[in-house]
Amino acid sequence: MACNYWDSTQRRHWQFTKDELAAMRQKLEDEEASLVQMFPLPQLRHLNIHFNQQINRLGKRLGVRQQPMATAQVYLKRFYTRVEIRRTNPYLMMATAIYLASKTEECPQHIRLVTGEARSLWPHEISAIDAGKIGECEFFLISEMNSQLIIHQPYRSLTQFQAEFNLSQEEVALSWSVINDHYMTDLPLLYPPHIIAITAILLALVLRPTNGPGGPTGTGANSANLAAAAAQLAQVQAQARAAITGGSGPGTPGGLQGMQFSSAAGEKSPDARFNKVTRFAGWLAASSIDIEAMVDCTQELISFYECHEQFNDKHTRESILRFVKARGL
Amino acid sequence: MNENEKRKYIKGRKLGEGTYANVYLGQLRTDPAVLVAIKKMKVQREQDGIAYDAVRELKFLQELHHPNIVELLSVFNSKDQNLNLVLEYLPLGDLESLIRDTDRVRYGAADIKAWMGMLTRAVWFCHDNFVLHRDIKPNNLLIAADGEVKLADFGLARSFADPGVNMTHMVITRWYRPPELLFGCRSYSGAVDVWSVGLVFAELIIRTPFLPGNSEVDQINRICQAIGTPTEDNWPGVSSLRSYAVPAEVYPVPDKKAWMDRFGGVGAEGVDLLCKTLVLDPNKRITAREMLEHRWWRTDPKPTRKEDLPRSKDDGAKKMGADLGRRPGAVEDENRGSKVARRLDFGAK
Ligand SMILES: Nc1ncnc2c1ncn2[C@@H]1O[C@H](COP(=O)(O)OP(=O)(O)OP(=O)(O)O)[C@@H](O)[C@H]1O
Repeated sequence: MACNYWDSTQRRHWQFTKDELAAMRQKLEDEEASLVQMFPLPQLRHLNIHFNQQINRLGKRLGVRQQPMATAQVYLKRFYTRVEIRRTNPYLMMATAIYLASKTEECPQHIRLVTGEARSLWPHEISAIDAGKIGECEFFLISEMNSQLIIHQPYRSLTQFQAEFNLSQEEVALSWSVINDHYMTDLPLLYPPHIIAITAILLALVLRPTNGPGGPTGTGANSANLAAAAAQLAQVQAQARAAITGGSGPGTPGGLQGMQFSSAAGEKSPDARFNKVTRFAGWLAASSIDIEAMVDCTQELISFYECHEQFNDKHTRESILRFVKARGL
Repeated sequence: MNENEKRKYIKGRKLGEGTYANVYLGQLRTDPAVLVAIKKMKVQREQDGIAYDAVRELKFLQELHHPNIVELLSVFNSKDQNLNLVLEYLPLGDLESLIRDTDRVRYGAADIKAWMGMLTRAVWFCHDNFVLHRDIKPNNLLIAADGEVKLADFGLARSFADPGVNMTHMVITRWYRPPELLFGCRSYSGAVDVWSVGLVFAELIIRTPFLPGNSEVDQINRICQAIGTPTEDNWPGVSSLRSYAVPAEVYPVPDKKAWMDRFGGVGAEGVDLLCKTLVLDPNKRITAREMLEHRWWRTDPKPTRKEDLPRSKDDGAKKMGADLGRRPGAVEDENRGSKVARRLDFGAK
């Protein structure tokens, strides 16, 4: 991240309402009605999970950090609000997005290296890929994004809040993984990064970090964890709602202060934890943070964790491959 | 949308050439009186993606909007897979040509104060947005029709929001490069740009480059002689920088009088500001924000109104000739060399 979020192209051009997003996608589908008819695809969340996993795999091979991989995912999301997915080869676009993100995030990868790794990771998905092809797609990608390349990530906001709320390493790690997960939803196109970060912190504080390393994250999380997470989130949501409707004025810590959290057996210092949540709630009430937006983010994450269970990687990949192969993309 | 953007402009004659781009004059099709500059990125080798410099320039100019930073108006692709940046047209040349034209261009302390004010505001704005420019020099300071100075060429810029992240030290044209970069420091801050600003300031006053080193070693020698040898005393930690090496003879940091003798034209306050930008230890160097708060701006003479600033005596055509003729000059060569080095240095952040 660089530059000021408030004046950013992200805020001015790439933050949508849900209705706007739905309308843009509908328009793309309408324009390619027969393609859409011929090649049914799993729900968007499942496509996003697949993209997330694949981008992470390619990124790991290239030794790219988390931040560029997150940026690549946002590039892909922006691109597919402008171009119908069935007109493209998503694997080629993923490789291109990583290649471009590695440049914009200041860890440039050589185009031939990206090409080579993509080819060996996706031997069936991209048959005739060469560096020239990625170069071509890079133009396509930049152009559809109106050459607006800086992505403001919630990771930095999290780092800033870490000291403010005296978060433990565990809580930071949990917040971090919630942020990782949000790239599989539409949230990066809907809300500013600091709202995402604060939501992630709220979840981390309220959710017990006992779900094992990584917390309730998408990748590798088992369904029991996810169900537990979803239940917890529902509770948080109800409490957050109560906080807003609690009519707390500025300065007076509102309903969140009374937020319940079951004190589990084995909890070392529930008091410390309580204090932390209280402090966070007080801060939230005194701030001008859009709590309704946080509620909505929470809801979005709940639905995501729920639908994560039905994700079927093989099925998703095959549905994509059908149009890629049929159309020789 | 791209085609539409492209059709909006008519491309005219070549205005100049840089390392990775050719710049052309352009007109608005619907209103030919409106002039723009079209910066067309050179094609790299066929198979390569968009040049790193071009990506940097694009991403920052999209976000940074300020009266003293060149404005990006639009972007389009041409058929040969070339990015074209449409920039505001800055017809009055650059600060370098004003400084050099000692026969025909005369200016004084009030003019220098006006130019320095515009430059400092541009740099402050970049730093406030966590952007390092990393190539501040007189010929990257272009002048608009109304006399406003605009910082251009963001091909080396990068963000520095993550403290402690390693960055390449192969940036900034040698004459304007601060000692920490010459010593191979890879974790640096806005202070690198401030040093360059200080050298532009000095050059505006003496009308010749203050420290025109002809190699990195010579550059360090010149810094030691003119500004003092960096030592553990004046810069704790300096001797542990990767390529710290200074001449055997230790030069003292010169006193105020020495500075006044050479740069006194801008008055005692002006010299005070100059000294603070050229402090050896980057941690003690003044910041761009502190520069803006300096007393010099408020002491007489007042900065010249931009409309009344001295102008280049060259017309556009001659300016272009000068640009194209200025090929194998020491600065350009070195600059190109450092860019190439950086481009291949994929490991560097
Ligand atoms: N906005 C503009 N208006 C008028 N002329 C311009 C403009 N931008 C650039 N030029 C001209 O084009 C020349 C080359 O542009 P520029 O310096 O931006 O290219 P570059 O490759 O970034 O340069 P360098 O190699 O010095 O870093 C400049 O010296 C200048 O004469």
